[in-house]
Amino acid sequence: MVHRGDRLFAAVALLPSVALVLMLIAVPAIAIFALSVQEVSLGRASGTFVGLANFRAVLASPDFYTALINTFIWVVGNVVFEMALGLGLALLLQQGFRFRSLARAVILAPYLLPTIVAVLVWRYMFDDIVGIVNRGLMVVGLIERPLQWLTSPRMAMFSVILVSTWKFAPFVVIALLGILQAIPLDQYDAAKLDGANAFGRFLHITLPHILPVFLLTALLRTIWSFHKFDIIYLLTGGGPIDATTTLPILVYFKAFHDFDVGGAAAVALIMLALILACLGVYFALLRRSERRL
Amino acid sequence: MRRREPGRYEASLSLHTTTSRLAVYLLAFTAAVVIGFPFLWMIICSFKPPSELYNAPPLFWPVAATLQNYADLFIQTGFARYFVNSLIVAIASTALSLFFGSIGGYVLARFDFFGLALFAGLSLLCYMLPETLVVIPLYMLASLLGLQDTLVSLVGANTAFTLPFALWFMRGYFRTVPIAYEESAMLDGCNRFQTFWRISLPIALPGLVSVGVFAFNNAWNEYLFALVLISSERNKTLPLGLSTWIGQDSIYSWGMLLSGSVLLTLFSVALYAATQSKLAPGLADGGNKG
Repeated sequence: MVHRGDRLFAAVALLPSVALVLMLIAVPAIAIFALSVQEVSLGRASGTFVGLANFRAVLASPDFYTALINTFIWVVGNVVFEMALGLGLALLLQQGFRFRSLARAVILAPYLLPTIVAVLVWRYMFDDIVGIVNRGLMVVGLIERPLQWLTSPRMAMFSVILVSTWKFAPFVVIALLGILQAIPLDQYDAAKLDGANAFGRFLHITLPHILPVFLLTALLRTIWSFHKFDIIYLLTGGGPIDATTTLPILVYFKAFHDFDVGGAAAVALIMLALILACLGVYFALLRRSERRL
Repeated sequence: MRRREPGRYEASLSLHTTTSRLAVYLLAFTAAVVIGFPFLWMIICSFKPPSELYNAPPLFWPVAATLQNYADLFIQTGFARYFVNSLIVAIASTALSLFFGSIGGYVLARFDFFGLALFAGLSLLCYMLPETLVVIPLYMLASLLGLQDTLVSLVGANTAFTLPFALWFMRGYFRTVPIAYEESAMLDGCNRFQTFWRISLPIALPGLVSVGVFAFNNAWNEYLFALVLISSERNKTLPLGLSTWIGQDSIYSWGMLLSGSVLLTLFSVALYAATQSKLAPGLADGGNKG
């Protein structure tokens, strides 16, 4: 039932949201398209039109491909570790045992932390000389010499993924625990009577139930990892050299260190195209799997 | 041995459950110790004097425990200033997201006229945009408006970034509020705003708490906008302010940074304890745009 004056209310109520979203997100997003075809520096409002030269320059530079490969390793490593650990921990917390709520609190705690705190603590623990991680591994006998967790190009990406997994696997745990608790228990009892073992019960009852949420969580973690800037930048600054420079960090460096705004805009748009392609593939796969069911 | 006895099937079954129970305890213990260790280490080390913090190899327990790091944090760094700035930005952008998000979400849920669906779709698309894509034009916009290096610019940027989520979440929430309640309120003479304010909003309170937690967390953690928009020490937020002390690997900085970490952890835990029981179940867990 729509009254007179209701439309006025609706328009007035929605106006600030429309204005804010348009002015601060949509317009800048469109502006990026305009910037990507100009040679423009940060200080000035307008540049010169250069067509697709920025894209050509980006696609011809080795920096871009290094960042692209780094992004791929970062996203795949991150998502695989987080999903695997998150699933394992969720299944563990699903079991009944004493001190379960304590274990749950500890396991989920990293997710509550501000990113800067996680970064500070891990940077101190990963220190080559005074860090407890090297000390612990040497005492146990797993390594002989201290490892350069964040300062060697070969290890830095792995270490950053490790910290990120510690911080964000709880998100997967929370998402999966919710759906795990929704599975009717009598299905498990029936399977036990039929003689199914734990693995069989997981494969035929648990997995089909949690699969949609599992895939959606994996998709969200993929998108968010792909966009991630702060945790990598604060841990390594994109280094050593360019070992952990992912595409978002490359955009930041291009715009605010090299002042190549056009180039930065071009990289940002290529990122957007990649993520949209990922989404397209995901939904195509989802539709096909739904059709099969 | 019991295994040879007639009831051996039961015996082996209970042996099986005992080992699997043991495995569960062992796994849970290992997971909690490994995941919880950084918290423990942060707390222990925040009480160590510099000589012990920089001892190689590190000692586990502090020998001469001290509160000096906590004092230094407030004397040498602008921790209190960073904290207040972060609080201002987070509270302001949370309040704005809550107000505009709830009233806008209500309109999106209850009305259906030209342009609404388009705006809803657009704001969902905005939610998918990476910060790095928006930050360059946002920086240019801020300098055009003369808002560089102000907390206002951060409030605007953070609000705009959480608003799409707030709109979508509250739209979904208002759709679960039975329309009959509103109709009877309007029959009693309430106008649309009164109906929204007195009837629908109180019912949607758990949803508001969820949006509030999401918006606060987002602004509290936000680093890239602050890095790009803020340049003076006096306007730095916590992530930006503390990160400037990482590079300064002077003999003192780790102690201060770790004591700051402990205080921020306590603050996060207190906030969580205050809000978690009031959250709308499920959806809000996915709210943190990690």
